[in-house]
Amino acid sequence: MNVQEYISSGIIESYVLGLATREERIEFERMCAAHSEVKVARDNFEHTLEKRLEEQGITPPKHLKSKIFAELEVENDHRPEKILPLNQRPEMRAGWLRYMAAASVILLIGSTILNFYFFTQYKKYVNRSDELIAKQARTEAAAQTMQKKLGDYQSAMDLIKNPAMEVVRMPSVPSSPHPASMTTVFWNTNTKDVYLMVNNLPQPEVNKQYQLWAIVDGKPVDAGVFDMGEGTSLMKMKNIPLAAQAFAITLEKKGGSPTPSMDAMYVMGRVSI
Amino acid sequence: MSTPETYTEQELISALRERNNQAFTYLYDNYSGALYSIILQIVHNTDLADDILQEVFLNIWRKIETYDPSRGRLFTWMLNIARNASIDTLRSGSFQNSQKNQVIQENVHFKSQVTEINADNIGLKKILTKLKPEHRTLIDLAYFKGFTHEEIAQIEDIPLGTVKTRIRNALLQLREYLK
Repeated sequence: MNVQEYISSGIIESYVLGLATREERIEFERMCAAHSEVKVARDNFEHTLEKRLEEQGITPPKHLKSKIFAELEVENDHRPEKILPLNQRPEMRAGWLRYMAAASVILLIGSTILNFYFFTQYKKYVNRSDELIAKQARTEAAAQTMQKKLGDYQSAMDLIKNPAMEVVRMPSVPSSPHPASMTTVFWNTNTKDVYLMVNNLPQPEVNKQYQLWAIVDGKPVDAGVFDMGEGTSLMKMKNIPLAAQAFAITLEKKGGSPTPSMDAMYVMGRVSI
Repeated sequence: MSTPETYTEQELISALRERNNQAFTYLYDNYSGALYSIILQIVHNTDLADDILQEVFLNIWRKIETYDPSRGRLFTWMLNIARNASIDTLRSGSFQNSQKNQVIQENVHFKSQVTEINADNIGLKKILTKLKPEHRTLIDLAYFKGFTHEEIAQIEDIPLGTVKTRIRNALLQLREYLK
């Protein structure tokens, strides 16, 4: 049987009207797919049938339409209910996750703010602590300085109070480069220790030092060089066991000289005994 | 309720699959007459036809996803749903009972409302009258009563091959009359 014979065998009408057997239907669908003319013939018959049956249609009662559409409304209302539990579950899970994500973001932001706050506070206290430690160190240092000074004054005072101490006031000599100069020597007549107090001397040049001399029998004897840094406290000089008649101070090169430079004498004082 | 909108077959199918109410209204307005007609030609009873038409449209709504355009036009699919639903009703217990009740009511002359109709003058059946009697009977048994070829061969007491040949010939003639 060729295709044209197949088309005009009545199979098309049989298939379209639902009269074909299962085997015939399978065969026909295969033929439709394989031969476009079979499909065209089917389409033509379907169009003809549809057109004719529409023309000869019988309008159903009016109330039937509203009844059917009311029924469809019910179907529609029920349909989502049936589908929703399946569809909604992942959505609900997603919603729940969304809330969890939002909550964790809020917690994270809160935690970050708190961390920043605590860190700032921590930095503030560390700074305060450093400040206090520094302040305390400064106070301690100042106290030590005061203690030392007080100790110096104490010992100076003890030396001065000693009855064996000979006080030699040394005013400026007429030829002194600095007329307002004044120093004092405390000479322990028992131990022969010599202490010097600078009342007023100008700061020497960097490469020079003052030198104290004891004048024994008209000859100068070195009693040591000294710096001005210590201020007004007593400076221990060289022990002078000889019978000195006077003390004098000259400005010498750093480290001192074997003999005094007479033109650079600042002060001199006679021993009263 | 009629909508001025028209659809191509494709558009109508997509709209129906999206559960578009307007498309469904269009479908009802354009096809309910033809379907109601075929139902009446099978069950001959307006009360039953009303119920079947409702069932048919609900089924179209529910099963639109199962419609396969490669197997034929939308109308053909709907027509077969309507025919199958009608034949199912014809064979169901409720139809048999209604027939009996009809007989009782007729017997006691208590028939309040005429729901039975003579369908011989409508639609395909009207065209069938143009066929030769032996062809007409076979189409009636096969298409409107839903009997298989084997059943028809038994009922008519003719060979199965003859049933097939005659039905095919009857259908070819029917086609000519439809044009």
